[in-house]
Amino acid sequence: MNSIRSVARFAGAGFLAAILGATCLIASAQTAPQPTRTDAEKDPVLKAMLTELDRSMSRLQLKDFQKPFFIQYRIEEIDGFETKAEFGATSSSRRNHGSLARVTVRVGDYKTDSSGVRSDGAVQLTTTDDDPIALRSALWTATDQAYKSALAAYAQKQAALKQVQTPPQADDFSKETPVISLAQPLKLMVDEQAWEARVARDSGLYRTDASVKDSRRDVQYSLGSFTARVTTTWLVTSEGTIVRKSAAGYEESSAVSAQAADGMRLDLSHASVGVSLNDLDTPEVFEKHTLKLIASLADLRKAPLVEEEYHGPVLLSSGAGVHIINSLLASGVTATRPRMGTEARTNGTFASSYHARVLPEFLDVVDDPSLKSYNGKGLVGAYDVDDEGVPAQAVKLVVAGQLENYLIGREPVRDFPQSNGHGRAGLAAAPSPAIGVLQVTAKNGLTDEELNSKLLALAKDRGLKNVYYVGTLGGKLTPRLLYRVSPDGKRELVRGAELGDLDQRALRSGVVAAGKQLWVANYFSEVPETVLAPALLIDDVTIRRANKKNDKLPFYPPPE
Amino acid sequence: MTTISFACGRRTANCAGIRAVFAVLALALSMIAGAQQPAAPLLLNAMTTELNRAFTSLGKQGDAKQLPPYFMSYAVSDASAVTIGAQYGALVSKSANHIRVADVQVRLGEPKLDNSHGSHRSSAVNSVTLPLADDREALARSLWLATNAGYGKALESYLRVKTEAEVRAKEEDSSPDFSQEAPQVYLGKPAPPVKIDSSAWEQRVRALSRVFRDYPDVNMNMVLLVVQNETVYFVSSEGSRVVTPHMQARVLVLAMTRADDGMDLFRVQTFEAETAEGLPAQTEMEAAVRNLGNSLEALRKAPVTEPFDGPAILSGRAAAVFFHEVLGHRLEGQRQRGDEEGQTFTKEVGKEVLPTFLSVADDPTLTTFGKIWLNGRYQYDEEGQKAQRVALIEDGVLKTFLMSRLPIASFANSNGHGRAQTGRVPTGRQGNLIVTSTKSVTEAKLRKQLIEEAKKQGKTYGLYFEDISSGFAVTQRRSPQAFEIIPLVVWRVYVDGRPDELVRGVSIVGTPLAAMKRILVTGDKSEVFNGECGAESGTVPVSAVAPAMLVSEMETQKQPQGTARPPILPIPGAEAVAPVKKEAQ
Repeated sequence: MNSIRSVARFAGAGFLAAILGATCLIASAQTAPQPTRTDAEKDPVLKAMLTELDRSMSRLQLKDFQKPFFIQYRIEEIDGFETKAEFGATSSSRRNHGSLARVTVRVGDYKTDSSGVRSDGAVQLTTTDDDPIALRSALWTATDQAYKSALAAYAQKQAALKQVQTPPQADDFSKETPVISLAQPLKLMVDEQAWEARVARDSGLYRTDASVKDSRRDVQYSLGSFTARVTTTWLVTSEGTIVRKSAAGYEESSAVSAQAADGMRLDLSHASVGVSLNDLDTPEVFEKHTLKLIASLADLRKAPLVEEEYHGPVLLSSGAGVHIINSLLASGVTATRPRMGTEARTNGTFASSYHARVLPEFLDVVDDPSLKSYNGKGLVGAYDVDDEGVPAQAVKLVVAGQLENYLIGREPVRDFPQSNGHGRAGLAAAPSPAIGVLQVTAKNGLTDEELNSKLLALAKDRGLKNVYYVGTLGGKLTPRLLYRVSPDGKRELVRGAELGDLDQRALRSGVVAAGKQLWVANYFSEVPETVLAPALLIDDVTIRRANKKNDKLPFYPPPE
Repeated sequence: MTTISFACGRRTANCAGIRAVFAVLALALSMIAGAQQPAAPLLLNAMTTELNRAFTSLGKQGDAKQLPPYFMSYAVSDASAVTIGAQYGALVSKSANHIRVADVQVRLGEPKLDNSHGSHRSSAVNSVTLPLADDREALARSLWLATNAGYGKALESYLRVKTEAEVRAKEEDSSPDFSQEAPQVYLGKPAPPVKIDSSAWEQRVRALSRVFRDYPDVNMNMVLLVVQNETVYFVSSEGSRVVTPHMQARVLVLAMTRADDGMDLFRVQTFEAETAEGLPAQTEMEAAVRNLGNSLEALRKAPVTEPFDGPAILSGRAAAVFFHEVLGHRLEGQRQRGDEEGQTFTKEVGKEVLPTFLSVADDPTLTTFGKIWLNGRYQYDEEGQKAQRVALIEDGVLKTFLMSRLPIASFANSNGHGRAQTGRVPTGRQGNLIVTSTKSVTEAKLRKQLIEEAKKQGKTYGLYFEDISSGFAVTQRRSPQAFEIIPLVVWRVYVDGRPDELVRGVSIVGTPLAAMKRILVTGDKSEVFNGECGAESGTVPVSAVAPAMLVSEMETQKQPQGTARPPILPIPGAEAVAPVKKEAQ
C-alpha cells in the first residue's frame, strides 16, 4: 500500500504544466461583496470539506480523551506540465494532475497544544473528481490518523514540559480572525507540443547555430526544460476560515556545461520565470540568452585560473546580490518556535538580533506578498492569503539597517503573538514561515556606472593591482562569471574561484554601496518566492582558488 | 534476501530491459536471421554505430593505463505507460509517461577475471536516460557520455579486483566472471505506444473502487490500472542485435481493514493481460472485488489463531508462492558461488531434493497458462540470450540451475535466465516457475486426506491456506536458512465435521528442504500467481504455477500485529448504506 501511495504522491507532485494564456491571477475576493459560507458551499470541494469538518468537530473523540479544539483541512490540486530536452531532442514530457489532502488536528488549547514535530498532521491522496464521498473519505482517514497522533503528542508534550524549568516563551497557537476568501481557480492551458519543440530546439542550439559552431564539440551537456504549474488550494478551519486560492507559475530554463582543459567542470544556466506566459522571455530573447551561455562557456574554458588569494572590495551585480540576500538574509528573518526549555525568541542567524543592526543604515527590507508585479513582471512569491488561512501582510523587516520584525505564521514567539500571514507550505507539507516577496532597497542607490567608479576608486585608494566583479553566482555562493578588474576598468573573465568571508557580518558592516536598480529573482520552487535586490559593493571579500576535484577528461572523443 | 510481491505498477522502464551478450561469430547468424526481419530501427542503428565507435576507441588513445574493454553492450528500454488510479470510488491519479533508459555495460580484463568480479558486479553497468526522438546526434551524445562514465567506473573497479585477487586466498568457486555465448540476432516488431480508451477506463477503475462502498469496514482501497508497452533494444560488441517488445496491462486492487484488536488485514487481487482489451470483463472484475470486500469483512471478525504444527493444504496459488520463495530463489545460479551464500542446493545436482512425484521447470516462453496471462514470460533475457524452458527438477531430482552469463562450477553457460531491471547487472532469475505432479487427487480427496492426516497426528483440525501474500526467503549464509510467508486467508478444517473456520494472524515458518520433503500428494488443478519479484538484480515480473499440496507438517506462528485502533468515526457514506447483503463465502 505504501508504494502505491508514494508513487501517486510523487506523480501528483511532479506534474507541472505549460500554459497558454491563463492569466486571471487577480483574486476576485477583494472587489466582490464579502463571500459567505453559503457561497463557499456552492463549491463541491469546499462543501465536502465543511461537511466532514463539522462531523469531526462534533463527533471525533476517543473515550476518556479530549476532543480536538482545532482542525484544519487543506486540499491542493496540482495541474502541471513539464518537458525536458537534451542535445536538441525531447528527453521527457509529462502532464499530470493530482490532489492531496493535509489534515491538521490539535488537541489541548491555544496556550499548550499537541503541535510539534511528532504531530504535524496527516496527508492523504485525494480525488480530482468532485465526488463528495471520496473527498470526505480521504479527509476522514487522515483526520483519524492525525487525531490519534495528536493525542499521543499532547501526552508526550505534557510530560516534556515537566522536565524543563523555563516555561515556553509564547503560546503554541495564535488566535486569528476567521476569513472567507474565494478566488476563482485558474486553468492550465499550454500548447504542449509547441513547448516540447521550443525546448528541444533551444537544447540543440549548440549544434545548430552558426555563431557558436566552434564550441560544438566542447559542450558536454546541453539541457533545456519548461515547467508550468497551477496549484489550487482549498482550506477550511474549525474556526470558520474558508479559503479557495489558485496560483500559476511558469519557468523556462537552459543549462550548458563543459570541461576546461585541466578537467574543471564549468556550468552555466539561464532561467526565465513568471506567473503567466507573458512574463517569460520571448523565444528570440531566450535563444539569445542560451547562445550567450554557450559563448560564455567557451570564454570560461580559456579563462585563466584565479591563483593568489585576494582580500578587498568586490562588486556584486544585482543578479548576484539577490543570491546573497536570499541565502544570508531570507532564512534568518523567519520566526520559529525555539527549543523547549530555552529562553530564545526564535531560531537561526538572527535569533537574537531583534532591534539590532543587521544591514548598513542605508538599506531597508520589506516582505510584501501583495506586490504582484514589478516593472511589469509578475512575481511568483505574491499571494493574498497564506496556507494557514491568514491574509498576507506587508512586513517591514529591516528599517534603516535595523531588524524590526520577523515573518511569522500561527506559531507565536515571544513578542510576536499573531501571525503576519507568512505561514507558507509546500505541496502537502506543514506550513512554516517563509518569505513571499522580499524587497531590499537602498537610500540614494547608485547606477551601475557609479558603482563601478566607486569600485575603481577603492582600488586606487588602496593601491590594489586589481579588484573583482561578480557577474553571476551559482549554488553555495560560488561565482560562475567572475571578472578581475584592472585599475583602468578593464574586465577579464577568470575561473576556479570561490568567495570567502561572505556572511552576516559582511552584510552588516561590509556593504559600502548599493545599486538603484533591483534585480527580480523569481524562485519557482514548491513554495514560490521572489527576492528583489540591488547590486552590492562589499568592502572586504575573500576570493581564492576553489580547489575542487577535477574530473577526468573524456576517455575518447565525442561523436561527430 | 528476496521477496515476491505486488509492486503496484510503479515500474515504468524497468521491466525487461533485454540485454544480450555473446560470442564473436555473429555474422552468418545475423544474415540468416535478418533475412525475413523488418529493417532495423534508427535507435538500434545509432546504438550499434556508437557502440562500435566506443569499442574501437576506448583504451586506444595512447594511455597505457587505459585498458580496452573486452566486452560492451547497450540495452535501451523504451517504455510508454498509462496509469489510472482510483480510491474511495473516485479518480486519484492519471498519468501517461514515455521514457528511454540506456544501460551501458563495460567489461575490462578478461572473461576469467573482470571488473564485475565478486562484490563489484554493479560496476559493469551504468544507466542514463536517452532522448525520446529518433535523433541520431542527440542519441549518440547521450550514449557517449554514459559510456565514458561507465568506462571510468569499470576501470576503477577492475584495478580493485586485481588487487583483491592478489591478496586473497583461493575462492571456493573459481569459475570465470563471464560466459562464452553465441551472439543473437532477432529484430522483433517494436511495441506500439500505449493507446487506451481513457475515459472508459477511468469509469471502469472508478467503478471497481466504488464497489467497496458496500463494505464500510474496508477503510482503505486502491485500484490501479497500469498499461505498459516496452521495447528493448540490445546491441553488443559480440555482434548481438536484438529488438523485443514486451506489453502488459494490469489491474491491481488493494483493500485493507483493521480488526478491533488493531490487526491490519489486507487483500490484493490482480488481473493481467497483454493489452488492456485483453483484461477480463468488468462484471468479472467487479465480482472478484466483491469477494475481496466480503473476505475482509469476514476476516476482521475471525479469531486469532494459535501457533500450530500439523498437516495443512496449500492452495495452488499458495503453493506457487511457496515454491517461488522456498525453492526457486535457491536455484538461481549465482547463489551457488557467492562466498556469502548458503548454497543449499549447490552440491545436490543429480540428487533427490523433492518427492519423486514432483517436477519443476522454469519456462519463460509460455505466454499463458490455460486462459491466464503469465507475467514472467519473455523472449530474450536481459543479456540478449534467447529464453528457454529449463527443467530444474525432474521426478524429484535436481538437474540444473537458473543461469545468467555468470558461470558457476557445475555449469558454464547461460540458459536464458539472466534477468534484471533497468540499471542492474543481470543474474539468474525465475520467469514462469511451473510445478507439476504425477501424484494428484481431486480437491475433495485432498481435503479428505487432510482430515485423515490430522486424525492420525491426533489434531482436532488441519489448516487450509487459501491465499498468501508476499514472503521472503533468506539464502545468505550468515542468516538462518529459513523462510517466512504471510498467509492472508487461512481456514481451520476440523476433523469432527464442524464447518471450516476462518482464522487470522498466522504466518508460516520453517526451513526449506524439510518443508518440501513433507509434501504427501497434490491436487489435480494448477493455479497461477502473478507478481513482481525483487532481488539483487532488481524487480522483475514473474509467475509461478502449482497445484494444491498436502503437507504432513506445517509450522505456523503468530504474526506480529499492530495495536492502533480502528477508525473512530464510520467511513463517510456508511450511515447512508443499508445493511449490505453479503454473499455467502
